[in-house]
Amino acid sequence: MNPVLSVRDLHVSFASEAGTVRAVRGVNFDLMPGRTLGIVGESGSGKSVTSLSVMGLLDENARVEGSIRLKGTELLGLSELELSKYRGNEMAMVFQDPLSALTPVFSIGDQLAEALDLHQDLNRKQVKERSIELLDLVGIPNPAERLRAYPHQFSGGMRQRVMIAIAIANDPDVIIADEPTTALDVTIQAQVLDVLKKAQRETGAAVVMITHDLGVVAGVADDVLVMYAGRPVEQAPVDELFARPAMPYTMGLLGAVPRPDRGENRRLVPIQGNPPSLVDLPVGCPFADRCPLVEDRCRTAEPDLLPVAGRPETLAACVRADELAEQGVTFEDAYEVAEAAESTLESVPRSEREVVLEVEGLKRHFPLTKGGFLRRRVGTVKAVDGVTFDVRAGETVALVGESGSGKTTTLLEIMKLEAPQGGRVAVLGKNLEELSTRERAGLRRDLQIVFQDPMSSLDPRMPVYDVLAEPLKVHGWSRPKVNARIDELMKLVGLNPDHVDRFPSQFSGGQRQRIAIARALAVNPRLIVLDEPVSALDVSIQAGVINLLEDLQAQLGVAFLFVAHDLSVIRHISSRVAVMYLGQVVESGDTEAVFTAPRHPYTQALLSAVPLPDPQLERGRKRVVLEGDLPSPVEEIPGCRFASRCPVRATLPADDQRRCDTVLPVLTGGDDQLAACHFPLTRTSAGLTDVRETTRA
Amino acid sequence: MADSELTVTAAAVLTAEDEQSTGLRRTGRFTLIARRFARRPSAVVGLVLLVLLVVFAFVGPRIAQWGYDEPDFLALAQAPSAEHWFGTTTGGSDVFALVARGLGRSLAIGILSSVAITVIAAIIGTTIAFFEGWVERVGMWVLDMLLVIPSFLLIAMIVRSSSGANGWIWLTFGITVFGWIGYARVLRTLTLSLRELDYVHAARYMGVRSFTIIRRHLIPNLGSVLIIQTVLGVVAAVNSETALSFLGLGIKAPDTSLGTILQAGQSVILTAPWVLIAPSVALVLLTFSVQLIGDGLRDAIDPNSRSGGRA
Amino acid sequence: MGRFLLRRGANYVAMLFVAVSATYLLASVFMDPRSNYLSRNPRPPMDSINASLTAANINDEDPLLLRYWRWLTDIVLHWNWGLSPDQEPVASAVATRIGASTQLVTLATVLAIVIGVAIGVYTAIRQYKWQDRVLGGFATFFLVIPTAVLALFVVIAAIYINEALGFRLFYVTGLHSYEGDNPWLWLLDLAQHLILPTIVLTIIGAVSYHLTQRTYLLDTMKADYVRTARAKGLPLHLAIRKHALRTSLIPTAVNVAFSIATVFTGAVITETIFAINGLGRYFVTTIVNNDINGATCIAAFAGVCTLVGALLADLVVAWLDPRIRIS
Repeated sequence: MNPVLSVRDLHVSFASEAGTVRAVRGVNFDLMPGRTLGIVGESGSGKSVTSLSVMGLLDENARVEGSIRLKGTELLGLSELELSKYRGNEMAMVFQDPLSALTPVFSIGDQLAEALDLHQDLNRKQVKERSIELLDLVGIPNPAERLRAYPHQFSGGMRQRVMIAIAIANDPDVIIADEPTTALDVTIQAQVLDVLKKAQRETGAAVVMITHDLGVVAGVADDVLVMYAGRPVEQAPVDELFARPAMPYTMGLLGAVPRPDRGENRRLVPIQGNPPSLVDLPVGCPFADRCPLVEDRCRTAEPDLLPVAGRPETLAACVRADELAEQGVTFEDAYEVAEAAESTLESVPRSEREVVLEVEGLKRHFPLTKGGFLRRRVGTVKAVDGVTFDVRAGETVALVGESGSGKTTTLLEIMKLEAPQGGRVAVLGKNLEELSTRERAGLRRDLQIVFQDPMSSLDPRMPVYDVLAEPLKVHGWSRPKVNARIDELMKLVGLNPDHVDRFPSQFSGGQRQRIAIARALAVNPRLIVLDEPVSALDVSIQAGVINLLEDLQAQLGVAFLFVAHDLSVIRHISSRVAVMYLGQVVESGDTEAVFTAPRHPYTQALLSAVPLPDPQLERGRKRVVLEGDLPSPVEEIPGCRFASRCPVRATLPADDQRRCDTVLPVLTGGDDQLAACHFPLTRTSAGLTDVRETTRA
Repeated sequence: MADSELTVTAAAVLTAEDEQSTGLRRTGRFTLIARRFARRPSAVVGLVLLVLLVVFAFVGPRIAQWGYDEPDFLALAQAPSAEHWFGTTTGGSDVFALVARGLGRSLAIGILSSVAITVIAAIIGTTIAFFEGWVERVGMWVLDMLLVIPSFLLIAMIVRSSSGANGWIWLTFGITVFGWIGYARVLRTLTLSLRELDYVHAARYMGVRSFTIIRRHLIPNLGSVLIIQTVLGVVAAVNSETALSFLGLGIKAPDTSLGTILQAGQSVILTAPWVLIAPSVALVLLTFSVQLIGDGLRDAIDPNSRSGGRA
Repeated sequence: MGRFLLRRGANYVAMLFVAVSATYLLASVFMDPRSNYLSRNPRPPMDSINASLTAANINDEDPLLLRYWRWLTDIVLHWNWGLSPDQEPVASAVATRIGASTQLVTLATVLAIVIGVAIGVYTAIRQYKWQDRVLGGFATFFLVIPTAVLALFVVIAAIYINEALGFRLFYVTGLHSYEGDNPWLWLLDLAQHLILPTIVLTIIGAVSYHLTQRTYLLDTMKADYVRTARAKGLPLHLAIRKHALRTSLIPTAVNVAFSIATVFTGAVITETIFAINGLGRYFVTTIVNNDINGATCIAAFAGVCTLVGALLADLVVAWLDPRIRIS
């Protein structure tokens, strides 16, 4: 069989202020019809540039060399006009951000019709029929009506479905999906990946799936190409790659990911250091500086991607690949795996610990005004509508939910330290409603925050010293004390204290997040609120920051309120979890209990939607894929907010269904696990837990 | 072109230093800006022109053989000559002296009012944006209200009554008092996105006082915009000054500015065109060079956004 | 819809009221109509000066607030905007000049939009090519050149052309000089008068539309949806024309709506140089004559134009942008 897409020795470079950026340096792969190739890599590895150069969509200042053949036709060197005959016809692309990928001023129908008209000769009626058929295929309800809608009337997941419909409109042979689900929530991601699989089945197209998410690759790919610093470092069939990675980088990458399906309290293993700059690459293997198995010869020449002895299907770019494969070196051998740090509070039972944060029935509603022109109040957004949980000294409580669940609003309400609209919030036993101005200022010391984006959480115009000194000055520390404290803080978070004169831009993302953590720790708070603290970081860096947080907690006894959407991270770091859906906590309790035996159907669906970085488990998995999107928070829902999507409700008799629709369930249960559901799952009915519990020990 | 070489070498020096000092091999912000600025020939030309004009405004009155306020009654409406380099007006005033003096006035008015406008606009714009709620609502209403009447009309009204030696100060005052409103709106819009940045939230949650946040975080991070706006604001202010003086509503005799010379030249457009041409050339060189510098700075500071400040 | 318009209308009236009142008070403080009489030779008797000033309600011996109250009640109750120091009603003076300004400005505005947007699109597509650089250089030049300088040089050029041709092709003052009743000759005469000021106003307007439209299009050209369009199979230039251009015209349309306000007052210099009796020139006259009521009346008219422009801008966006139309 001939490959549909064949890439040989692809090089891409850009001119930049700092010099020539060599974004892609020698990519080779063959894509067979109907197969799926996963390209995995961290940011800056060159995976997206590779895909864009195949489509010929790079900016004009990019220099592309090598060969890209689509069904035998060389694409490099074709003019824009010639290339446009292939684009959308024989090869199509789905982009990362569905919110900006559709033209806002044209209707969905127009944009679909355009794709059809460009490559097929159809009359109006045929175009309309085919458009409806396509929208139906990608699972958009009422397709005929929705054709007239504009992109802003669709949710992110729906827009990504439209993008897929456009991509498959002309039966392409190759579909390139560039991080197609990264911007989506995990339950929506599961839907979109299903749609993508269906689209592939319908068209028989080969798919290039570009992603940083090892779980996604494990679920969809047949073969995997791992990229690092612009070069493929390992290529293998998916099972082979996940079971027996040959290259130390791949081993490290797989080892650094926390697993949503494992509860063991093992420390994560970060890969030391940062990826090299693409402007001035070191001689030799670009991974050498971070590699635990580095030898002197690694630094002399860059290794080629070659077959590994005894494993004909695996290619690796490592001088020691043969040797490592022969000795059967695994992640555990290559990297030092440590046990988790013991907390000093471990011995104190939870019920005896001090309550540092108590949230009860918290409400936050916003007025909704509509339209830019006819601005008027049309309803109320119930962003937070009854949130209850507590945090005790020295523990980590995770708040988990998809976008729109109200978890960030909850955080902001707490951080404001003002009387809430409804409900009760108490920090260190002090009710926010009864707080004097002085008490509030005092509480600001005990409560600190770390934000998601390390780029925007540090003022780019302040050197690190000033960043760290800011909270200290607010609380009136003297200058010598400030100096000593900053020195101490830098060491505490693993940074060189001599670097306090540098500006945030001189640090990498992971280092910047460490600075933000240091700033939060500066005044010895009792509780730190962490808003998605690792979701902007690459996996290999993320592990280091998670370890740091665990160490700090063990050392200082500070409590964390950890907000995240990534369930793997949550299972790893938190001892308790509260699951939010549409402004309410639907389930809360001990993390292990909730993860192994979820009682609320939403928790169950959420857990089952998380892709596992294990291809064999992924294949054998039963999934609860939720129908539809999150309802609008404006909607008046008298009963259970999850009822419209609930898989359990669908199986109930009519009477019980009515109960779900009309009566709002409250958190009930015991054994350290509460769920807000009239018909909670039991251990056996949860079903999925069996699959999870049979994971290899 | 000595100046352009100077700029280039300065940038080169900065680059070399930068590369040595940090192992990370990141290019410093100011180096980058200087390098990008120096790479634009138009910006460098603008800088050279402006320097020459400033020199002319300072040195001109000293080397001229006639003062701008001492007419030569023996040479009325004379073409350029060895004695009157740019000719004379119908009243016998030396055009060279007038232009040098007028250029100084225009520059002074332009720079002073532009700096003052930026300061006022920055303080008010950021304050309105930073305090949500009623401060913002009332502030925006007042800003909108102030924009209802074209500022040109208002400046003309208050400058009308002042004349003599202090006239130019009144004019600067007028241009400033009615000129900051539009800029304040632009800066408010920019601050709206800044105030949502996490480091501003972080400072709030730390308990840092509001005006400290504005001073420490917001205004410095608008710095590049403020610099560009000040530079380009000079062009706008010089244009306002010229227009008003030309209409007889700004600077009045015995003081002089480029606008008043233009007004004098208008009536003798055919008989003594030099009266018109000399100040016109000076004006165009002045505004053009400042604009080139401003454009160069904008591209150097923020190569991606070429949008001018619009609310 | 009705309620919304009513609310916005009320807000605009409130703004206008405060702004115009402030203008009146400012004008009363800074303008000195008494000096008109004092500088006359021979100086009229004090009593007659006071009588004239009081008749026009601009006597500085009356308390300011009393004058303001009289001025306001006259407008509200009788739609009487007051008298100039020469005892002429200012409202009718403004009304007669609106026509001249409209004639002057309408054609130039239309031309400026069409030419400016066209060049903006042309240069955005050719960003950094020589066409863009050359046209951009011209634009920068005309953007910064003071209107007076530009207009005066246009006049000089026209006079030289007239002299070279040996007859008067261009008129450099006024709007009309033909006195017969042949409509064609009348129109030709109007064109000969209009062409020079129109050139000036068109250049000034077109340059700013050029630069803004170029920026808007460059912004949208880099949008993700243009890349999507290319991925569908549209070649770059078509993707830009179909997808980026349409979106980039929305802010330009808003600017056009807003420009209504500047249209009537933005031509002060041009009207002065070409001796056209429009609003701009009348404004200069009121200032020179210390005509408090006249200047305020013009300011009020300009304010109404601004607010109408703002309302129009809202309507235009709502009409062009589905994100606002349907939500």
